[in-house]
Amino acid sequence: MSLFLGQILPYIAAVVFISGVTWRIWRWMIPRIVHNITLSPFPGSWSKAIVWILWQFATFWNLLKFDRPLWLGAWFMHIALFLMLGGHVMAFYTVGLQFHVMAPGIITAEMSLAMSDWIGTILGLIFLVALLYLLGRRLANEQVRAISSSSDYLHLFLLIGIATVGNIMRLFPEYHLGYAPVREYLAGLFLFNPVPLPDHSLFLIKYTLVMILMIIFPFSKLMHSFGFFWERWIVNRPYTEPARGLPGARLQLHK
Amino acid sequence: MSANELRQPKRASAALFKKLGMDLVPDNEKVAAAIGHIDDFRLKVRSFVMAMETCVKCGACAEACHTYLGTRDPNNIPAGRVDLIRKVYKRYFTVQGQLFPGLVGAQDLDLETIEKWYSYFYQCSECRRCAHVCPFGIDTAEVTFIARQILYWLGIAPQLHTATADAILRTGNHMGLTKAGIIDTLEFLSEEIEEEYDGLKVDFPVDKPDSDILYVPSSADFMLNPRTLFGAGQFFKYVGANWTISSEITEAGNFGYLSDQTRIQREMVTRLLAEAKKYGCKKIVWGECGHGWRAAKMYVPTLADLVAVKQIPITHIHDEVEAYIKAGLLELDPKRNDSKITLHDPCNYARACGHADNMRTIMNAVVPKGAFVEMTPNREANFCCGGGSGILFDDPGMYQFRIEASNKKAEQVRETGAEILCAPCSICKAQLYPMVKEHKLPVEVFGLIDLVGHALVFRE
Ligand code: HEM
Ligand code: SF4
Ligand code: SF4
Repeated sequence: MSLFLGQILPYIAAVVFISGVTWRIWRWMIPRIVHNITLSPFPGSWSKAIVWILWQFATFWNLLKFDRPLWLGAWFMHIALFLMLGGHVMAFYTVGLQFHVMAPGIITAEMSLAMSDWIGTILGLIFLVALLYLLGRRLANEQVRAISSSSDYLHLFLLIGIATVGNIMRLFPEYHLGYAPVREYLAGLFLFNPVPLPDHSLFLIKYTLVMILMIIFPFSKLMHSFGFFWERWIVNRPYTEPARGLPGARLQLHK
Repeated sequence: MSANELRQPKRASAALFKKLGMDLVPDNEKVAAAIGHIDDFRLKVRSFVMAMETCVKCGACAEACHTYLGTRDPNNIPAGRVDLIRKVYKRYFTVQGQLFPGLVGAQDLDLETIEKWYSYFYQCSECRRCAHVCPFGIDTAEVTFIARQILYWLGIAPQLHTATADAILRTGNHMGLTKAGIIDTLEFLSEEIEEEYDGLKVDFPVDKPDSDILYVPSSADFMLNPRTLFGAGQFFKYVGANWTISSEITEAGNFGYLSDQTRIQREMVTRLLAEAKKYGCKKIVWGECGHGWRAAKMYVPTLADLVAVKQIPITHIHDEVEAYIKAGLLELDPKRNDSKITLHDPCNYARACGHADNMRTIMNAVVPKGAFVEMTPNREANFCCGGGSGILFDDPGMYQFRIEASNKKAEQVRETGAEILCAPCSICKAQLYPMVKEHKLPVEVFGLIDLVGHALVFRE
């Protein structure tokens, strides 16, 4: 079992995730953008269009403008998610010393570890609370319930599961597991040089849930993370107006 | 819900389809045919695929859609509307839908669903307010276009749209006006102008060779909104344009765009460019029509495989009037339009064609200071009139729907306290006349060029 979870499933998950996402995007690239269906006001150039798309991405501008309660849950959930994903990568490279590495003169190694702990814990809590809020909204709001199917709830349950286990590991010292053993194990995976899974049941649960998430990702609505850019590329593109003026008219715009 | 409880517009008969060179697909072949069409579209049209695959069911679009606000029917939530096709798409074209249909909300296609398509995709006005609001920009109108095209190919389309398609093929306009009728009406309008404006002589040249400008009016203006034609004629007279109207394409609208893009829309575009060439026109100027203007401005370049596209620019009469106002070339007397006035931004102008600014430049030049009051929301966030995409049905159930779908609009207009509702689009006008009546609003509906013509000061 631990051989399967520790040494086989991770590779399956990685392959399914990467090839699945690639395949989905490949399929999006087959059909063309047939007509220019950009939404006005039109961006004047590609650089303006891209700035607008990134602005939408960073702020969830449309939700902020048109659905404030949803923005509250979705934006905080996503920001916590992005920062935590970044945090996981950082933790892997620096075992919690990232802030020390960024500003060695100002932040000591101990301070960095403490910051990493604090920030990670706070983000984890924000993430969980935001997810519960989104779940509550999906259940309470009649319109959202009407358009939801089971999978919409299951994604939320899965993420809530991951977040809950992660938070328990953070908040209760007796369930804590340091960065080092995980790093050693993951390095083994990357280098194809097997290191046994840390013997820690909560970690095992969380790790398995994450692998499940990776496997279903390409076959779920979670592809909206990439879809965002593909959709906006269609509806926010530049348009150049033809010149004004009536040829042959007595009154001309420019003499 | 069974099919006979669904709200559906009156259907075109087999005979009418036959006239357009189409056979009805028999019931036992409809499902397979529809799936085949979806398969084609998913390989051709990216906006369709992204709408199928990107939605997170967040519901932000629900309150954005005037049809949902008016009916509170979940199938009128934009995401719910798209789901009528998305469920089928998932079932046949996604891994998750093939393996776990119940879990991900995928469904086999059946005739009942096709009947729902006919109901709900003809309640969508293709106004794109959902695209404006959705965090991803998912454009339900793209799905509605495709659903309507598939239905048309199956032999399911409203009598209104199909009869209009037939009129287009016969006469080149929606109202079925003949050349004699067009000339007659325009002569009558010339006389009216002469009477109303102290002997002002405005000619409306029809099929005039060696013209520089081809003006494309909405055929509805000939019967319902003559003042819009007045305004265009007065403007062209004022600037001394060498212009003409073509009796073969007296139509700024494009009902093909609203039900059969592959044939009827293309037919109109081909005619348009051929006519412009025939009279030697160097520019095409469009009249007041929202969907038709979008079809011309945004679709002609990619739809017409004709060199003329590269040679003859197409602009809107608002674009030109705005440019002339900005250049200080028009003498306007705003006092002639002295009433409290509000502007309805037609969806296609505001969200698809970038006209929010030019309409306001013109408005502010033709009405006295302080007379123009904005409704809220406005510009790109404005709500549809409820008749967009030609859902101007008169059968009782659908007429009732039109009035419900205009609840939001009526509320917006009422709040402004305006006496004049300016709606520079033929479909908006056709929808707003009954809206004003049924919601008992104390306003009169006009176009924008109407006001320009009325304010133009002719000397000499
Ligand atoms: C780029 C702009 C993005 C926007 C506008 C966006 C928007 C949303 C919205 C509106 C929801 C629905 C919340 C709900 O359940 O009610 C959602 C859910 C979610 N998004 Fe995003 N998202 C974006 C990018 C991403 C990215 C890049 C990721 C991941 C790497 C991501 C991961 C998730 C997850 C995990 C959920 C919860 C899934 C669920 O409810 O089933 N999102 N997103
Ligand atoms: S706003 Fe966009 S993502 Fe949200 S439910 Fe509507 S279409 Fe789907
Ligand atoms: S295009 Fe307009 S009518 Fe159609 S679903 Fe979107 S908001 Fe509603």
